[in-house]
Amino acid sequence: MNRVVFCEDDPSIRKLVQAALRSTSHEVHIAEDGKRGLSLIERVRPDVVFSDVSMPEMDGFELADAMHARPDLAHIPIVFMTASVQREQIDECFRHGAAGHMAKPFTMAELRARVGQFSKS
Amino acid sequence: MRKLPRSLRFYVAASTLYAALVFFAVQFIYALELAQSGIVVARRDNGDLLSSIQLVSFIVWLGISLIAAVIMHRLATALAGAESAEANAKTSEGQKDQELGSIFGLSSALAGPLDLDQIGGYFVAAVRGAVPADMTLALIVYDDVLEAFRTIAADGPRAPALKDQSYSTVALPSIVRIRVIDHRQSLVLPDTSADPALWAKVSEEMPVLSSVRSFGALPLVSRERLVGALLLLGERAGDLTPDKAQMPVIMGQYVAGSIHSALSVLEADARADREALVNRIAQRARASLAPDEILRGTVDELAKVLGVTRAVIAVGDSEARLDVLYEWTADGVTPLGTAPRDLPVSRMAARLGRTIFASDVRDDRRFTEPTIASALAKIGVIAIAATPIRFGGQFAGSLAFVHTDRPREWSADDVRLIESVGQELRGAIAAAEAFQQQRAAVVELERLNRAKSDFVSIVSHEFRTPLTGIQGFSEMMQSEDLTLDEMREYAGDINKDAHRLNRMITEMLDLDKMESGRMELHREPVDLNAVVSEVVEHVRPTAPQHPVSLRLDPGVGEISGDRDKLTQVLANLMNNAVKYSPDGGEIVVSTRVEGATAHVVVRDHGMGIPNEALKSIFERYGRVESVATRHIQGTGLGLPIVRQIMQLHGGTVWAESTVGEGSVFHLTLPRGIAASSAGVEAAS
Repeated sequence: MNRVVFCEDDPSIRKLVQAALRSTSHEVHIAEDGKRGLSLIERVRPDVVFSDVSMPEMDGFELADAMHARPDLAHIPIVFMTASVQREQIDECFRHGAAGHMAKPFTMAELRARVGQFSKS
Repeated sequence: MRKLPRSLRFYVAASTLYAALVFFAVQFIYALELAQSGIVVARRDNGDLLSSIQLVSFIVWLGISLIAAVIMHRLATALAGAESAEANAKTSEGQKDQELGSIFGLSSALAGPLDLDQIGGYFVAAVRGAVPADMTLALIVYDDVLEAFRTIAADGPRAPALKDQSYSTVALPSIVRIRVIDHRQSLVLPDTSADPALWAKVSEEMPVLSSVRSFGALPLVSRERLVGALLLLGERAGDLTPDKAQMPVIMGQYVAGSIHSALSVLEADARADREALVNRIAQRARASLAPDEILRGTVDELAKVLGVTRAVIAVGDSEARLDVLYEWTADGVTPLGTAPRDLPVSRMAARLGRTIFASDVRDDRRFTEPTIASALAKIGVIAIAATPIRFGGQFAGSLAFVHTDRPREWSADDVRLIESVGQELRGAIAAAEAFQQQRAAVVELERLNRAKSDFVSIVSHEFRTPLTGIQGFSEMMQSEDLTLDEMREYAGDINKDAHRLNRMITEMLDLDKMESGRMELHREPVDLNAVVSEVVEHVRPTAPQHPVSLRLDPGVGEISGDRDKLTQVLANLMNNAVKYSPDGGEIVVSTRVEGATAHVVVRDHGMGIPNEALKSIFERYGRVESVATRHIQGTGLGLPIVRQIMQLHGGTVWAESTVGEGSVFHLTLPRGIAASSAGVEAAS
């Protein structure tokens, strides 16, 4: 079982993620922007973070940088979900220390598999 | 060693003494020999025959000796002349003690290649010996490169006024010009006061001659070519007479050949320089497409080769208005500056469509008109050559070369050079301008292409978000065990995302339609205040952090417009006001009447818009992209749509903003049902 934090500003996608992972054993926490996401991460100490890039308050890259600046959070892998499939923006994700990249729209199978990848052994 | 030459009397005395000595010696030996051989001369002849033989031989001896004396005297003076001429030219010390120059000395001094200044030095020094010490000498030669006479050597009290001067042919006194230059005759005036009227005219034409009492001008001709002239300025009447001028004339014949050779060398150099110049210009024109570079390089170089003091390229679409585009000036010459200037000769060249040249505008009939003369004097023009520059039959400017320092005779070579460079230049400029236009078109295409691809990435990004929902929920409905309620709920979510997607696509298509003029308004009388309140009431519940206040002027009344489109405009502005003030803040929407115009203002207290973007936000895809707006969704089409709709209504839209304090959007619409069509016309 994994503890997962999602940061996503689009309500439709938030709802979709919640619904898609409901039937799995993962513990899912969802925030609507990077700032709320960061405090959620501090609180629940997840095994993995999935984050949108374009969000109000604090975007995905700022969230990643904030996590890497914190010794207690730096080890938590972060996967970006972006609507962009352009090479340079994907590269930008990895420059900000991404553990993975997931292009929108994604299938439910992909979502579940990605979340499962980061299970504690 | 004693100084040579001694006087002729010395030689005569010496040779007479020598002849007498030889005679007595011969007489003595003769008598002795006769006595020894025992020959006795007949008594009958006693004394008479012998003495007559002795007398004849004495006279013969004396004659031989006198001839020898004259020859020795001449030889000595010739040698002395050569030595002093050389010494004089080399040391340039005043050689007042010199008694006589010599042709022999001069011709030996002139052996071997010399430059003009050296030749002049030898010549003047040699002539110096043949004329009074206070006579002023000046050698002027015709310099084909300058196309004027130039003083290459001068000596005497008036020399400072003559040294380093140049005289165009017209600047010489007319009597000198006609007699000496044109007809190649010597001019010798032993007494200038003999004809006061003539001398007054000469003095006026060449002030340095004013108090000269005797004057000579001797042409220097070599191989049918007039290479220069020797000017002799005497301080007293009779200092110069046709006889006294003989020596300088003969010396002049010697020196003319050397001057001719030296000039030929200079001319060949100048011709080679010009050929090299035209080659360089052609090369540069081929290698470079930057018009600036071509202009500068060409004009600088040509100005230097021509030896002018100013070169000007002036451009304009008509001869009446010429702006200095580029200008080269010699050291010490005041530039015209690039402001519009009155350039009468360039204008004339433009009007007549051919090269105009003047050796001295101050006494040229074409430029005596007061306004032209004063305009030329103001910019210091003395000699000028101007050629028009045309592109495809259209006047485009002129290229002018100017002397501010002296008159100048423009040779056919000069004019050809200026014209051919002008041709080269106009070709190069035309090519460069065409290239620049193409480059501008390419840049514009690149910009459009970039905007398009930016748009595609924005749109694809925006489209993917609702698609994620549609795809995800439908996948779950397909594969999961769901209750009917869950099914219904997901179907609702899919529907919502599909609507969102549809709205985006509609916006894009609407804008396309409006921009290509295919959108038509469904005009009807619309209560503008009602539209504004409807939109505000619609937005209010979705923006709890943004208190919206309405200030409506009931006088606005009805206008002629498309209700749906106007609703779209207000909705876009309201949504923007909410979207771009993420921290909340009051939104004020007001209407008011301004004459025949209804004015709607939407004011928010959000992040604001940078000044430089106030116009571009109304351009398609001109959305401000920054850290602040990165997470604000939008297709970048909302405001372009607003602008298009306002234009279709004959109205306007603009924005004012202070970054960090908020933005104000203004809409104006023609008031009243009847006024609207006039408004459309006024707007178009």
